[in-house]
Amino acid sequence: MKYIAEIDGLEFLLEILDEHHVRFGKEIIEVDLAAVSGQPLYSLLANGESYEGYVYTDEDVLQVLLLGQFFSVRVMDEREKRLRTSGLVGAASGEFTLKAPMPGLIVAVQVEEGQQVEKGQILVILESMKMQNELRAPRSGKVARIRVKPGESVEQKQTLLNIV
Amino acid sequence: MFKKILIANRGEIAVRIQRACRELGIETVAVFSEADRQALHVRYADEAYPLGPAPSRDSYLRGDKIIDIARKCGAEAIHPGYGFLAERADFAAACADAGLVFIGPKPSSIAAMGDKAAARATVAKAGVTVVPGTEGQGALRDEELLALAPKIGFPLLIKATAGGGGKGMREVKTLEEMPDLLQSARREAEAAFGDSNVYLEKLVEGAHHVEFQILADQLGNVIHLGERECSIQRRHQKLIEESPSPTLGNNESLRRRMGEVAVQAARSVDYTNAGTIEFLVDNDCNFYFLEMNTRLQVEHPVTEMVTGLDIVAEQIRIAYGLPLSHRQEEIRWRGAAIECRINTEDPYNNFVPSAGRITLTQMPTGPGVRVDTGVHIGYEVTPYYDPLIAKLIVWGETRTQAIVRLRRALEEYRIAGVRTNIPFHQSMMATYPFLTGNYDTRFVEEQFPSIDAAENRELYLDIAALLAVLVAHRETERRSQVYSRPVRRSNWKWAACPDRPRR
Repeated sequence: MKYIAEIDGLEFLLEILDEHHVRFGKEIIEVDLAAVSGQPLYSLLANGESYEGYVYTDEDVLQVLLLGQFFSVRVMDEREKRLRTSGLVGAASGEFTLKAPMPGLIVAVQVEEGQQVEKGQILVILESMKMQNELRAPRSGKVARIRVKPGESVEQKQTLLNIV
Repeated sequence: MFKKILIANRGEIAVRIQRACRELGIETVAVFSEADRQALHVRYADEAYPLGPAPSRDSYLRGDKIIDIARKCGAEAIHPGYGFLAERADFAAACADAGLVFIGPKPSSIAAMGDKAAARATVAKAGVTVVPGTEGQGALRDEELLALAPKIGFPLLIKATAGGGGKGMREVKTLEEMPDLLQSARREAEAAFGDSNVYLEKLVEGAHHVEFQILADQLGNVIHLGERECSIQRRHQKLIEESPSPTLGNNESLRRRMGEVAVQAARSVDYTNAGTIEFLVDNDCNFYFLEMNTRLQVEHPVTEMVTGLDIVAEQIRIAYGLPLSHRQEEIRWRGAAIECRINTEDPYNNFVPSAGRITLTQMPTGPGVRVDTGVHIGYEVTPYYDPLIAKLIVWGETRTQAIVRLRRALEEYRIAGVRTNIPFHQSMMATYPFLTGNYDTRFVEEQFPSIDAAENRELYLDIAALLAVLVAHRETERRSQVYSRPVRRSNWKWAACPDRPRR
């Protein structure tokens, strides 16, 4: 199985030959991967070199935390790669959904439905872990629908409002 | 000595205080909210009693309930830890009224230092230099503050008079943006302290935050245990503390003067027990009194590592009425200590708090390493409390050795289930300003996350790619197996099945 990994704008071509062998460019690497206690923490032996890193899945990228450094890796197989370069997927949709980045309490909603907002404008104030967090608009637009009220508790990733 | 002490706190600090009690042969009483039934401080205690629902105002801030529990279980003293009721003069007074010893300063000292504006006035009267700002006491209205602001000059800080921990604090660059910032500072202060009063202070740019640890007994002896540098902050929250301070460096005369002023500030409010005097030091070695924290500090272990003293044990001895264990001239400082606050915040996502269940925790150990924590596997990080889950403290004979150890220990530390700021600390330990000790309070906000373009990054791109592909491949395989695997029992299960045909 062939994969393309994209990090920092660079592409790496890898081919999984079997459970313990990967072709990396021209080289064949002997690998052994073990998940630590069933966690998203992996021990990797590559040609005898020992590494340990966290790998989290975040929508269509893998977040790798290795030796105190963060890598955002897009892993594609050949078919996905072709689709992406032909521009058939990933076209940006016009709507932005503000989701709660953490569980907490809505302190204030500083916009109204239908209101025009500027990039960077405060939309909602969310209190969590004793801190008040100002959630701002990532771009200009119009507030479409507000789904929360002050005083309401929200879960992580709960939709708060939309901007079109 | 006391026979039984109630600890009115939770998390790592409750555990830390229990340790001192154990070593002194004192029984411990824990209190806990509904969210903390399984917490370490409950399981380590000799006795534990429930307080109520998870939100602090229904549990750890219920002073009346806590005092009631202390009386019923026969505790003689209450240790408040930090946060919650630690700097509430009314709580300290209520303890005294109930015949309980409050392990901390007198209510009058807490009140004198607790109102930050009043504290500035008190120490200024005692001849201690303060940062220029709104003088005097009493609540000022927005119009008055807006009128005073240009006289102090921009940039300036709005601070909560009941403040602490950076809550209710806002930085103001121009008069135009000030009304909005006043409003949000007041709102945050009201939520955090139940008091929306604020004051103004000039923002000293390029400043270093250096604080002195004080111990004062009830017999009138006051000593200091040297300084801690706390300039690594984000949004006015300390993240890394160390002693000795690289800012003071070899400037022994400055260190001596600051120590003397700290002792003088403590005396000006007739202080007893452990406390901390915070100073701002500018690039010309001028220093200004900032505030006094009338409690045990989060970062007290840094001082313990370099002095060898147990500050919590000293607090308990002082509260019991014993004299200090040491005179000023007996205090010796050895080596260097650094503390990293491990918070459940994602440094790669704008330090957003991360909640969830801890599924793995593997703590660093080995020479010179200390971890103070209250979490364990299965522990739920909730939005109700502070994001601090652990403190990693290292000691080294030299600052360089301490940094090398810290880098080693940070890489050993594994936590899964929530995101933590450990990678942030790792990045900091690779920056030139930190390594050389040339950093100020602006450092984090101005230079992180650009410092993520770290040394040797290109060396690990291959490994990151390999790891990601292997994990992605494993996921793909697993998913396809779920769909395609025919339903078939294992032979063992089949053999054990009661309705199989038997002969």
